[in-house]
Amino acid sequence: MTPRTPEAGRPDRRRPDGGAPGDDRERDERPSVVADLGRAALDLVAGARGLYSVYVRTLYFAVRGRRDRGALVHQMYEMGNKSLFFVSITMGFIGMILVYQAGLQAKRVVPEYTMLGATYLELLVRDFAASIGALMLATRVGAGIAAEIGSMVVTEQVDALRMCAADPIDFLIVPRFLASLVMTTVLIVWAGTIAFCAGAVTARVAFDVPLETFFNMRLVDFGDISIGVTKCVAYGAAIPIVSGYCGLSTFGGSEGVGWATTRAVVNSSLAIIILNFFISGTGFIIFPK
Amino acid sequence: MAQVNEPTRPPGLAFAAGAAFLGVARTAGGMGVLFGRILARLVPPRIDRTELTRNLYKMAVKSLPIVVVTALFTGAIMVIQAAPIVKRYGAEGLLGWGAGFGTLREIAPLLTALMISGRVGANNTAELGTMVVTEQVDALRALAIDPIAFLILPRFLSIIATLFMMTLYADALALLGAAYTGQGLLGVTPTSFYHGVTSGLLGLGDVTNGLAKSLVFGLVIALASCHFGLATTGGAPGVGRAVNATVVASAAGVFVLDYVVSFLLG
Repeated sequence: MTPRTPEAGRPDRRRPDGGAPGDDRERDERPSVVADLGRAALDLVAGARGLYSVYVRTLYFAVRGRRDRGALVHQMYEMGNKSLFFVSITMGFIGMILVYQAGLQAKRVVPEYTMLGATYLELLVRDFAASIGALMLATRVGAGIAAEIGSMVVTEQVDALRMCAADPIDFLIVPRFLASLVMTTVLIVWAGTIAFCAGAVTARVAFDVPLETFFNMRLVDFGDISIGVTKCVAYGAAIPIVSGYCGLSTFGGSEGVGWATTRAVVNSSLAIIILNFFISGTGFIIFPK
Repeated sequence: MAQVNEPTRPPGLAFAAGAAFLGVARTAGGMGVLFGRILARLVPPRIDRTELTRNLYKMAVKSLPIVVVTALFTGAIMVIQAAPIVKRYGAEGLLGWGAGFGTLREIAPLLTALMISGRVGANNTAELGTMVVTEQVDALRALAIDPIAFLILPRFLSIIATLFMMTLYADALALLGAAYTGQGLLGVTPTSFYHGVTSGLLGLGDVTNGLAKSLVFGLVIALASCHFGLATTGGAPGVGRAVNATVVASAAGVFVLDYVVSFLLG
């Protein structure tokens, strides 16, 4: 497989050898700004093309490829059940922080908390549960996918698959893609629940808001739920595609695997933030309040 | 690395909980010991100047594009999320305050920390892990060069400095992104947005709160990344696993400490 370099991180510039003679030369021969910009643009185009190709082939094989129940269940277990603890911890803490900070703020402007829970739930459903939960999954699941597939690439297991006329996308990416679509949605619903309950407890302890006042679903409407679900599906699709692409474009031994994992985390997180911007913006236009 | 005694069916809940607890304790202990060793090397500060500069360049300067993109989009998202609430209460003048508060105190330090943990922390683990599995760290020891003082100390300081500086950038850029999104989406001019930020509801305390958090986050990311890098075993898959463990531990540490720091400073 031809090595491609996505926009974040240029593997050929790394020097993990801790001060080898190459460093000074690298600094002296730093190319001009125009060359840097041009190369960054070329990398971006090449990365986008590679990503698009992986995406299209994944969709094709997801519809027309083989059905492998065992691989799918295994991936769902790896992504879903094994992330449960991590997602619960992080979302519990972020729920407590968000309510605590919002409560402090509300005190400065309107000293009453009747709408705190309703507004918090609306924000959770529309954005925070999906986006923060997906950022967590991008670290946990994305890094896992890239590390696993990257190790397979450098130990030539992926080439072995190709030798057997098995498409690596069909065998490796499609089960992860389908598992992630399901499990991201499930985990985000769980993450939102945890964050809301942690927030309710914080509001009760810190600001004396009764639980029945906090559990107020009046502000959540069809628009919020459809934006939230759209985000779940979009992030669930983006994480395995971006990480799988980073894993498949690994080259160069153990450093290469480390680099692929790094790129997977950074690029999936960026993808989530950019998708969030576009989905939120579109949602605001489609469902104006 | 081959797991020899892999159980054929998943172990029971108590077993899993115990194993998870032991794993967390081992990681926390390892990070604590590493922190102690680093502090001991800091007492008369002997820092390799070239190594420090090289790491700062590689970590801070090279992360700028990612931080710029993240911060601009984050500011925009904050305004999009605040928009329905602002419209409902007709409080256009408070948009700067609402978005500015959330951005400065929570979202900018948090998202910058997550991006830097992915870009810098993971990368650092990959480098250290590669050096460990290719026995370059042992070679350093054989040459009587202390790996902690020569390798870890500059990286540790660079990661903390990088996150602090990047949070400063992210604060400014997120507010810029928020101001122009507010204009496009709600017709709030950037002037009145910035007036909302500076009119007195927000103070220097909100900025220093976020910056204090970024220092704590930097400490966690640096310790996790150096700890898992040095603890790498087992070739190329081992490096992948170490990077994976680093980003997971950094993210969990960042969120837990965010809570602790918020309460201590709030």
